[in-house]
Amino acid sequence: MGNRKHIIHNPMSRREMLGLCKSGFGSMAFMGMFGSLSSCSTQIDDPKSIITQMGQVPHYVPKVKNIIFLYMDGGISQVDSFDPKPRLDKENGEDPKKKFKVDNTQFDNVGKILKSPWDFKQYGECGMPVSELFPHIGSCADDLALIRSMVSDFPEHTNANYFLHTGSGIQGRPSMGSWVTYGLGSENSNLPGYVVLDGGLIPPGGLDNFKSGFLPASYQASILKSGPVPLANIQPQETIEGLQNKKLDFIKQMDDTMIGKLQNADAVESAISNYELAYQMQSSVPELTEFSSESAATKKLYGMDSDDPHTRSYGAQCLLARRLVERGVRFIELTCPKVKADRWDQHAGLKDGHERNAHAVDQPIAGLIKDMKARGLLEETLIVFTGEFGRTPFAQGSDGRDHNPSAFSMWMAGAGIKGGTIFGKTDDYGYRVIENETTIHDLHATMLHLLGMDHERLRFRFGGRDIRLTDVHGHVVRDVLA
Amino acid sequence: MTFRGKNIYTTIGAICFVACSLFQCGNQENTTKLPKHVDFNFDVRPILVQNCYLCHGPDPSSRKADLRLDTFEGATALRDEGKRAIVPGSPNKSELVWRISHTDPEIMMPPPESNLKLSNYDVAVLKKWIDQGAEWKPHWAFIPPTIKEPEQFDTEDAANEIDNYLLEKMELKGLKPAPLASKHTLIRRVAYILTGLPPTPEEITAFSKDDSPEAYEKMVDQYLNTSAFGERWARHWMDIVRYAETKGHEFDYTIMGAWRYRDYLIRAFNQDVSYPQLVKEHLAGDLMDSTRWNPDNNTNESQIGTLFYALSEGTHSPVDVRKDEADRIDNIIDVTSKTFQGLTVSCARCHDHKFDPIPTADYYSMYGLIESSRFSPVPANFTKDKAKSHEEILQLKKDVRSIIANALEQDDSELKKMGQKSMNQADGADDLNFDYLGDFRGNDLDGWKSDGMAFGQYSTLGDPEFSNDKMVHFASGKASSRMFSTGIYGALRSPNFTIDKDFIGVYARGNKATIRIIVDNFQLIQNPIYGGLDKKVNSETWKQVIFNIADWKGHKAYIEFFPGTYQRHVYNLPKEAFIEAEYAIAFDEDWPENIPIKASKTHENPSLIANWLERKDSPQEVALLNDFIQTNKKALKIHEAEKQQQHIEELSASLRDSVFFIGINDGFGINSHVFNRGNHADLSEEEVPRHFLSAWSDTVSAFNSSGSGRMEFADEVLNPNNPLTDRVMVNRIWHYVFGKGIVPTVDNFGLQGKLPSHPELLDYLAIQFQKDGGSIKTMIKMMVMSKAFQREVAGGAEAEIADPQNILLTHFPLRRLEAEAIRDGLLASAGNLNQEMYGPPVPVHLTDFMQGRGRPGTSGPLDGNGRRSIYQEVRRNFLEPMMLTFDRPIPFSTFGNRNVTNVPAQSLILMNDPFVLHQAEVLAKASIIHEKSNEERIKYIYIKTLSREPLEEELQSAKAYIKILAQSYGLNEAEGTDSLEVWKDYCHSVYNLKEFIYLI
Repeated sequence: MGNRKHIIHNPMSRREMLGLCKSGFGSMAFMGMFGSLSSCSTQIDDPKSIITQMGQVPHYVPKVKNIIFLYMDGGISQVDSFDPKPRLDKENGEDPKKKFKVDNTQFDNVGKILKSPWDFKQYGECGMPVSELFPHIGSCADDLALIRSMVSDFPEHTNANYFLHTGSGIQGRPSMGSWVTYGLGSENSNLPGYVVLDGGLIPPGGLDNFKSGFLPASYQASILKSGPVPLANIQPQETIEGLQNKKLDFIKQMDDTMIGKLQNADAVESAISNYELAYQMQSSVPELTEFSSESAATKKLYGMDSDDPHTRSYGAQCLLARRLVERGVRFIELTCPKVKADRWDQHAGLKDGHERNAHAVDQPIAGLIKDMKARGLLEETLIVFTGEFGRTPFAQGSDGRDHNPSAFSMWMAGAGIKGGTIFGKTDDYGYRVIENETTIHDLHATMLHLLGMDHERLRFRFGGRDIRLTDVHGHVVRDVLA
Repeated sequence: MTFRGKNIYTTIGAICFVACSLFQCGNQENTTKLPKHVDFNFDVRPILVQNCYLCHGPDPSSRKADLRLDTFEGATALRDEGKRAIVPGSPNKSELVWRISHTDPEIMMPPPESNLKLSNYDVAVLKKWIDQGAEWKPHWAFIPPTIKEPEQFDTEDAANEIDNYLLEKMELKGLKPAPLASKHTLIRRVAYILTGLPPTPEEITAFSKDDSPEAYEKMVDQYLNTSAFGERWARHWMDIVRYAETKGHEFDYTIMGAWRYRDYLIRAFNQDVSYPQLVKEHLAGDLMDSTRWNPDNNTNESQIGTLFYALSEGTHSPVDVRKDEADRIDNIIDVTSKTFQGLTVSCARCHDHKFDPIPTADYYSMYGLIESSRFSPVPANFTKDKAKSHEEILQLKKDVRSIIANALEQDDSELKKMGQKSMNQADGADDLNFDYLGDFRGNDLDGWKSDGMAFGQYSTLGDPEFSNDKMVHFASGKASSRMFSTGIYGALRSPNFTIDKDFIGVYARGNKATIRIIVDNFQLIQNPIYGGLDKKVNSETWKQVIFNIADWKGHKAYIEFFPGTYQRHVYNLPKEAFIEAEYAIAFDEDWPENIPIKASKTHENPSLIANWLERKDSPQEVALLNDFIQTNKKALKIHEAEKQQQHIEELSASLRDSVFFIGINDGFGINSHVFNRGNHADLSEEEVPRHFLSAWSDTVSAFNSSGSGRMEFADEVLNPNNPLTDRVMVNRIWHYVFGKGIVPTVDNFGLQGKLPSHPELLDYLAIQFQKDGGSIKTMIKMMVMSKAFQREVAGGAEAEIADPQNILLTHFPLRRLEAEAIRDGLLASAGNLNQEMYGPPVPVHLTDFMQGRGRPGTSGPLDGNGRRSIYQEVRRNFLEPMMLTFDRPIPFSTFGNRNVTNVPAQSLILMNDPFVLHQAEVLAKASIIHEKSNEERIKYIYIKTLSREPLEEELQSAKAYIKILAQSYGLNEAEGTDSLEVWKDYCHSVYNLKEFIYLI
């Protein structure tokens, strides 16, 4: 068994890398392409010098090494969570069309103005108001930079999901996680650089939210599930101890002989080295989901002792996210757990649905922030909490809310973030942004900025265009940065 | 001082080398020797494109200092300061030279903030070019190909002209080609590249035994003529047209009959249908004068080509339907222009193309083509026989009318009087509080388009109606889908109109029929939002069918009627379905009380009967005819007509349709406005007439078609003077044969694309392709017959240094097999390949990691029923992991050049995926059954998987390994020999050899 561990070949040979650079392949793809910066450096004389000469990445000194993206699928309601609107209480039950211009909505079933069923309380030194839905997250208020002025281009889930994840409402563009790993690579060659923790609900639009589009397939997300086989094909099929090792030895021996007869076979060399990586992933991936080394207190912090099975499962996902960060995984997205309500998408039954969803995620997320902070991991990790759009301040039917792309709230916490900030403003109803409108492109630009990348320079040539995650838009939201 | 200068020079040189190699500026290939004659296209333009055109290129919106360097006029124009950027012949007088040589950041170009920097080499090239007169040429790809004869080489090295062109370049670099590869390498290479499958042991034996000089050609021909050839090459084309069988987005709806397009491609490649024919069928297969029929079952092939338009993704409830339309059309423009012209026209959506001479007008001209086209079900079983029956029926119907007319004419005088009376009646009414959208009570379909056979070209006005084989009546006017019979496909579609009223009403009756309002060409009609735009008609009595369309005021729309219904966006047509309509109107508030028959044209003939016979009659005239036959019933001698009518009814039943695919057909010509900055809500004043791309011609003329103009577009693509069509296609073929295009950016021949490594060869191939009538097989064969194709993979040490990327093709490029070839190779070598061709896709095998909305209720089989990868379902939201991991592109745009990645996930599949292990087991079983000794079994497995016999040392290693495996299971040697487990592990190991997935 031991002989498999001795080497990690550089997954890309020096010549191959230079060849790629020469051929003008993207501009910085080479690091992520076959694994990671760190493993490249095992054989490249001095990869950093090449990077510097390229004038590419990182564009600036990065504040953040990893991102945990907490996706609140379905569209969390801003006026019920982070953007209190007393006027809704006053005008509850009145006709919104008499108060302001109402845009077309997805379901075109505009009801009366609907006050929030929840009270708000001020938290932390900053006094950030957070609704009763999120008492635990509220307790982290001083770590959060809240943006209340988010807007999206799409009022419909699928387009809005693609937009949030890829910067384009159309299917097929690379996901933000793909861009990040394309730009920076992963720091761990035994694990994929971009991981989606499937909490039970893959958002509308499906796995294409996490694909690499025109970027090489190596940048697509790996879907990790809880359970004994967290990653596809990670489990050896050999039933006899040590047998796989013998196979791999034989394969390597034959491959090496074959390659000796070829010149210029760098690609084949890389393919051979990938077996080493694959082999190591087989043990490092299951080890990830093995929580026995975590203390009871830690698990409790994440809500893993909760009566609510969804809190427990989301808690486990959050804990897993922390473990991935510890192992250098670059971009981690968590999808929502399958509570009884349909994600955060409460077209009806707002109270019950939002409460179920909030209960599942509130304590685990707060636990994640606190645990990461205690371990010093928050100093190099960005946590992002957002839905794809917001909800209407008026009812859909009697007790739901429809989609609202014209205003929603999201927050970030962690490295490079000015905690306790509130940025942007909506009107008295929380229906439209009136100050510091912030787009999805701005969010992406800000995330890339924190990772040390200039969103205008992170490009990939496809179909004759140098395409960016932020298309031709995006500004870094400097007001929320430390 | 000198020393210092030199030092700086070398430092700059070094930096420039890195920068240039990274950005591929120029085809400078790190040599410092300047070309003898500096060529604008191959030496100069790349430098300008990379460094200057962002601010001094074709796009006026980003142009700085009002200077453009993309045209001779612009570059040599007299500027305010009395200077010229370029003075041909005088580098020293050229402002450009002064600026690019300057170091003052205020003066130098490109400016420091651009992060662009010219190398000394670039500067020298520009100077020399200006010195030589600064000759300007159009972009190389826009100049028609010409033949430049290559030097002729010895036939030992050169099998055909391809080799001569290649050897010429090698010689310039002082390189020699590699020797020819061994026979087993060759047959494996040819088999995989032509068919995507490994050669069978029998084929290998036959080829290795054949010592005749024609052996190689015979072998090549054999693979060119297997049906597997079409399966391989169809899949290549499917990458280009973003082939998928579902629409993705939220629910991943089926693209109706997409697989028929896949089968169409397989047949076309196997039959070597000419490229021009294929192009025409893709772009305008619905508009062709002569249909191409499938020789196997006589169905219409041509129209299946148009399915390629429908392979885009689609969403069901866009809140902004106009934006949705813009995005869908953008995808079609993108794919169409890349596929057939190698141009990225969709870059001109928001502004003139930054680099290519593609103005936004060209984009919106293409936009108009698609906007004027309409998606529609197309009967898949429309045969030549049906077409014949249809014509026969039309003739019979004419005959019936003639017989009746003859009978009527016997009492001519009275009818004449009646006719004159009728003509005095005035039609029309004033002050209508509604708009007519279509009135079918007259003798025609009021300008609506009748697609398919069901509605014919006229209303029913005056049609003789029969009951119990007796003619009883002349019909009143209506549009009817049962002109012949129920259950026949047809759709009646209105001209485009702008919605300006609250309601649309249709007076209709029918059974299992549908009326839809198509707003901005939006097809995926359903709740929420759009559900009300699709109404079923299920009433034998006349009904007012009302649509509330107030939400879409200001949008363009058309109405369509058809028998049958859409269920989950798949069209169904039951036998009994039909629809009839008298008129369609738009109104506010209530259905109007009085809807007079719209004034029809004045009658051309003085004779009422002649009017009737020629279908130029009016409703009043038909009423008179009815009065007449009512009173003269007995006198009419129309037995013959009644007999014919029976025949018509018998024939009509054969016209029924039951299976469909989604295609496109012509609507009414729409000229699009330009969307300012790409914003669909911000339109330019003027409309762009539909025309062809203007990149290489000085003048473009507007298309005349009253329909979409797609046929005229196709004609321009196929115009022999089009400099791109043939080049782009032969380059694609070259790419698939040699693994890399002569132009490496196979989908982009524009200024941002890479330059051809062998422009003369490319031109030769393009011209040859045209001479051969666009025969794809002939072109492939010529390439495969070249010596270049037959060379060893290993290049010499010299070539390695002088040409590390093997651009000169001194040796055959090493390549990994594609996802499909790996999977199919596993199945074939295991003897588990199911060779069944065609048909609906095998449902995708769903793993636990494939979740999300629209997930099919049941998973497909793990081994895909053993069928080739091309027959496995391509569900956009549930793409096969193995295909994705081995780089099959995500189907959203043209991908003529797949990525080739190298990642651990690939190893994990081959190591642990149950599919791979299953194939190993099947192969193990076969080897145990077929062979007795370990040695024979090892040889058997080698031939099956690696297409060769093992070398002696490999045989020994394998034997030793078998022993080790046996020991692992606690078996002795003899037991090991017959253990399925042991052989399965061995086969599994062989499948994991790199040689299995590389063409070596």
